[in-house]
Amino acid sequence: MFAHIFMNRLRCLLRDKETIFWTFAFPLALSLFFYLALSNIGKGETFQEIDIAVVNDSRYQEDLYFKTALEEASKGEDRLFDLTLATEEEAGKLLENGSIKGYIKAGDQIELVVKESGMYQSIIKSFLDNYSQTFKAVETVLRNDPKKYQEVMESLKDRKNYVKEVPTAGGKPDIVINYFYTLIAMACMYGSFFGMRETSDIQADISPLAARINIAPVHKLKAFLSSICASMLIHLVVMLALLGFIRYVLNIDFGPRTGYVLLTMVIGSITGVFFGAFVSALVKKSEGIKVAVLIGVSMLGSFLAGMMYIDIKYLISMNVPFLSWINPVNLLTDAFYSLYYLDDLSRYALNIGVLSGFATLFCVLTYLILRRRKYAGL
Amino acid sequence: MIVKVRNLVKRYGDLIALDHLSFSIKEGEIFGLLGPNGSGKTTAINCILSLLKYDKGEIEVFGEPMTPEAYHIKRNIGIVMQNVAVFNELTVYENIDYFCGLYIKDKNLKKQLVEETIEFTGLNEYRNFRPKKLSGGLLRRLNIACGIAHKPKLIILDEPTVAVDPQSRNKILEGIRKLNSKGATIIYTSHYMEEVEQICSRIMIIDKGKAIATGTKEELKAMISLGEKITVESYDVSGEQLARLKQLPNIVSVEYSNPLIEIKSSKGKNNLENVLEFIKKENIPFGKIYSELPTLNDVFLEITGKELRD
Ligand SMILES: Nc1ncnc2c1ncn2[C@@H]1O[C@H](COP(=O)(O)OP(=O)(O)OP(=O)(O)O)[C@@H](O)[C@H]1O
Ligand SMILES: [Mg+2]
Repeated sequence: MFAHIFMNRLRCLLRDKETIFWTFAFPLALSLFFYLALSNIGKGETFQEIDIAVVNDSRYQEDLYFKTALEEASKGEDRLFDLTLATEEEAGKLLENGSIKGYIKAGDQIELVVKESGMYQSIIKSFLDNYSQTFKAVETVLRNDPKKYQEVMESLKDRKNYVKEVPTAGGKPDIVINYFYTLIAMACMYGSFFGMRETSDIQADISPLAARINIAPVHKLKAFLSSICASMLIHLVVMLALLGFIRYVLNIDFGPRTGYVLLTMVIGSITGVFFGAFVSALVKKSEGIKVAVLIGVSMLGSFLAGMMYIDIKYLISMNVPFLSWINPVNLLTDAFYSLYYLDDLSRYALNIGVLSGFATLFCVLTYLILRRRKYAGL
Repeated sequence: MIVKVRNLVKRYGDLIALDHLSFSIKEGEIFGLLGPNGSGKTTAINCILSLLKYDKGEIEVFGEPMTPEAYHIKRNIGIVMQNVAVFNELTVYENIDYFCGLYIKDKNLKKQLVEETIEFTGLNEYRNFRPKKLSGGLLRRLNIACGIAHKPKLIILDEPTVAVDPQSRNKILEGIRKLNSKGATIIYTSHYMEEVEQICSRIMIIDKGKAIATGTKEELKAMISLGEKITVESYDVSGEQLARLKQLPNIVSVEYSNPLIEIKSSKGKNNLENVLEFIKKENIPFGKIYSELPTLNDVFLEITGKELRD
């Protein structure tokens, strides 16, 4: 029975042009579009030094450690900042006319003044946080150990650290990559179209076709599972193809951890499919409305994860962190991103953990709705 | 008893869709469920199939209580839904094969059954067509094929001829009779009394979820007082003559809308003869004259006071 339903389902889905378009052709076309549109941005991985200013007052001059740290970070080929010394008034003006991303005021509590939030602003902020935490905390130790001092100084000014707070996994900072990561995340979520079809075709109060299957001598959940396995398979193949296209045709690097990248994609796809299944079971409206909901949610999620404008991602994670934790597209994007940049897998694990939580939640909720075998109305 | 329904009540909020409905269906019958739109036919079918929750009542199929998990019962039921339910991405053959495969595990048997069904429903020419390319009548036939391919003992057809041209309709009715003659018990719902009258061996008329009469068509017609309807074509008849016509024995009502005189009589002998004699005696010029037995519509009209079809 599994094979019978599974095979027929494969046949159906492969011939369903609309679903194939949304899950495969659309993300593929979009990735090509991104490639063409973004191929100039971030070319050659040149890191743009960040223009900042520091208020050159007595507090700054007296805070020797901070002064050295900031100067170190603004020195040499691979410097993090282009530093300007200024009065507070001048700094304010520079910020206003956009010549600097932010300015710093030294003191017991180091202050950062910015006009907007974005990746650069968050880099400056992490630099300062890093300084306060690592450097200041071990200040006394450093005083007695000049060698350690040098080490800390080096790590403090290492620009790679600030693209994402922790040391890198061999990846080079590249904003363009994030666009493709969001795109893949979105494509994972578009698996929801498969999920939607699956519930529509098993819930008798949604479609007469489903009613017919409910009448057959087949266990409803078994039929559903056989069927959704076919969906899952197609979605995974589609995602593999998309991933392959982006990696090998468009030459977008995912870093060396292929296994984890694939794992992320699989979990993302499962989340997507069950998200669609759940929405479709919950929203007992026409298919048009369901499609609108699914596209709307995926698009909004992608937008908030920075697919259209990268700074949105930082803006959200700084101001409304809750939103970035409930946005599956963001979780996926971030998972890919941490795989690429970070040696430490804890951030990745957190993303994947939360995501798996969502997948499980959607799965359980779908089960609870599908479990009913008699309907109140058809 | 193939199907036994007792005191079935189904409510949708305040609306009582089925109101203490009871009936039984014997093996070999073609049982007609006749009622106007919204009378509860589909609701009754869906309750029998355990698709719908109901508020009260008992349902037995093949002598056992019907539940969603009663697979051994379901295996022997074939259903043709009111709404066409087929996969748009599968061809005619693949659709029938799919649904047949939900009932029949043996591959060879399945193949044979699918071929037989395609032959039976006359879809052979169209076996590789997708449903989108089929005409309305052919689509209905596919819908039927998907429901009956596994040779069920009980076949439920919910308005299988809605929006079907007369030619396809006759083919479908003929097919249903054939299935019945091969041993299948059939439940047939419709709001077309002609169809029901044509093929059903027993009929239940329902209105607003209530059974208002059950029996063979002869029994149903015997239930009402109307015996026959006599229609006389005449261009020249006076009101006084019509009044006297009404005085004849057994005549219940006389209505004249130029050029037709419609005379309803209660049951009795010689009604037509009496009318003919009267017309001759009065020298009323006339054209056609014909007499009809009451239809199920008349039955419905007399019991509920309204037309079956509005
Ligand atoms: N899901 C539902 N929610 C609310 N009311 C419903 C629902 N389904 C049916 N009804 C109502 O129940 C009554 C019976 O409907 P049903 O579909 O059984 O009629 P029917 O005899 O099959 O009519 P038709 O000839 O049009 O198919 C109707 O008044 C209908 O409006
Ligand atoms: Mg109906």
